[in-house]
Amino acid sequence: MAKTLLVLSTSRTSEKAVDFAVCRAKEKGEPIVALYIIEEKLTDEVFNRFTDIGFIGDKPSSELVESIMKEYRQRGYEEVGKVQVKAMEAGVSFDAVTVEGDFTEEALKAIDDHDASMVVVVKKKKSIFMKYFSRSFADEISERASVEVKVFED
Amino acid sequence: MGFEIDRRPLWLLLIIRGLRPLFFVGIAVVFWYILTMPLPEGLSEEGRSAIAIFAVCLILWVSNAIPLAITSLFAIVLVPLLGVISRDETYGLFGNEAVFFILGAFILAGAVMHSGLSSRIALAMMDRFGASPKRLILSIFLLSAMLSCFMSEHAVAAMLFPIVLDIAKSLKLSPGRSGYGKLLFLSLAWGCVIGGIATFLGGARVPLAVGILQETTGKTIGFFSYSLAVFPMVVIMLFVGYVVLTRSFKIDVDSVEEAHSVFRGRIHAMGKLVYKEYAVGVVLLLTVIAWATLGGRFGLASIAFTSVVVLFVLRLVRWKDIEEYVNWGIILLYGGAIILGTALEQSGAALWMAEMTIANWASSPWTVIALFAFFTMLFTEGISNAAVIAILLPVGIGLAGRFDIDPVIITYAIAVPAGLAFLLPLSTPANAIAISSNYLTVKDMVKVGIIMSTTGYIVFNLVARFYWPLIGMGY
Repeated sequence: MAKTLLVLSTSRTSEKAVDFAVCRAKEKGEPIVALYIIEEKLTDEVFNRFTDIGFIGDKPSSELVESIMKEYRQRGYEEVGKVQVKAMEAGVSFDAVTVEGDFTEEALKAIDDHDASMVVVVKKKKSIFMKYFSRSFADEISERASVEVKVFED
Repeated sequence: MGFEIDRRPLWLLLIIRGLRPLFFVGIAVVFWYILTMPLPEGLSEEGRSAIAIFAVCLILWVSNAIPLAITSLFAIVLVPLLGVISRDETYGLFGNEAVFFILGAFILAGAVMHSGLSSRIALAMMDRFGASPKRLILSIFLLSAMLSCFMSEHAVAAMLFPIVLDIAKSLKLSPGRSGYGKLLFLSLAWGCVIGGIATFLGGARVPLAVGILQETTGKTIGFFSYSLAVFPMVVIMLFVGYVVLTRSFKIDVDSVEEAHSVFRGRIHAMGKLVYKEYAVGVVLLLTVIAWATLGGRFGLASIAFTSVVVLFVLRLVRWKDIEEYVNWGIILLYGGAIILGTALEQSGAALWMAEMTIANWASSPWTVIALFAFFTMLFTEGISNAAVIAILLPVGIGLAGRFDIDPVIITYAIAVPAGLAFLLPLSTPANAIAISSNYLTVKDMVKVGIIMSTTGYIVFNLVARFYWPLIGMGY
């Protein structure tokens, strides 16, 4: 059965996107899948900064990253929980998946795994200058996904 | 379908894709260009080679394209290869006391962290003094600063971060929205930054600067003399920091009682204070006293390693523990930086670069100090502070003679502002970690960081102008 896939992540959440995804799922009579991606890139950056520039050892750096990951996971559960409440209120069937990895790759993989009919993604607001020189992950998903992609700004 | 076609020009896409290889080709071209350019007046062949190496290291340190320690390897390899300094002398510079002092200090800090003493002190102090929201902010701020006087500010930030995160969660603060959440993480980052400039131990940048000073001029700075010179600045910055903190963001909690459950829970989980913690604490305390009182006579590195030996004799740490807490890449970075600094100085390249740049803009010793402090603070926001010292200090020492300034003063003018990084997450790991919490945004950090950076610059110049002459550091 086709599903509406809502993709959220550590640095990308939007209430508008959640509302849209729930409404759309209800309209189409589809279940909604909330995918929460914990971006490893963010924690990798912190780890590198501490080891390459701060020159602190592996153990404190790893413990630090672990505590950040723990926090991100916790926030993931909370974000997904909010979607679940809205889905329940709308009478939409709900499923949740939390993964760790690259935003684009995990989102594309989930489209196939969950047979999504539409993907709702959130992208960060960027200045015109930054938009010109770097593409957002959401745009990359739009380009590579085989289904319709709706993009919301954070 | 939601397809979005990439409409950017093809040439731009090709550049973006091939940026990294192009970047390294560009570095090679710059290196080759400097190496083969006609010799300018007043510059020796060795000096030209030293500038070519300096340019490569500068680009790599600024861009962070490869790890900092690996960039230092370029200096280590190229300096003898191009005949700037002999091979024996180059590798001999690795034996600089500063490198071993840094290593010893990191091992001691690792032992303190491993024993759990630092976490226990942190928790006890926050529990004891953090009774109200404002007092808790002050406790975190002062505690981070205090601990950064005895161990690397980066290690302090890493150690305190999980505790501050637990405080934020216990108070149910909303990430990115709560004013108090922002204050918690800013007080951690700023405390580390300000405390980090107070002694030789807050970061390895000061020992590195002293190492370069020693290799190039034979002069040195004592452990106690340094702290005495920066003490008023630390006090003023702590005061200003607290005032700015408490006025920048709204304190949106009435009580911090829940946070105390976190402290008590963690203290309870740690159990009673054990012999190992006592002993490590005593060793550290005696080491700091010895550095301050006997450092000039016996050498800072010798004292540090004596303490390290004592830690092992008393079985307070195992080698495995130390390996987990110390990043050995630091030897490469600091060794390489000292080699590069010495190469620039000995070849006359440092003086030549100084003559071409700052000497033209400065008219008096005071403006030289102010200019170096300004450029150091500017660079340190974007580059590792150790790299800033490796880049600017040889130039500064080269210029000191022309303006009749003691090179020791120039060393202070670069080593102290190099630690004052308040603006960006890439400035220092303490800022990066505060941002990674998501309670604080880069915009928040820049907004208040600019006040701190400006204040830091003004306070530094005032201290240098009016306080230093009082303690015999006139210029």
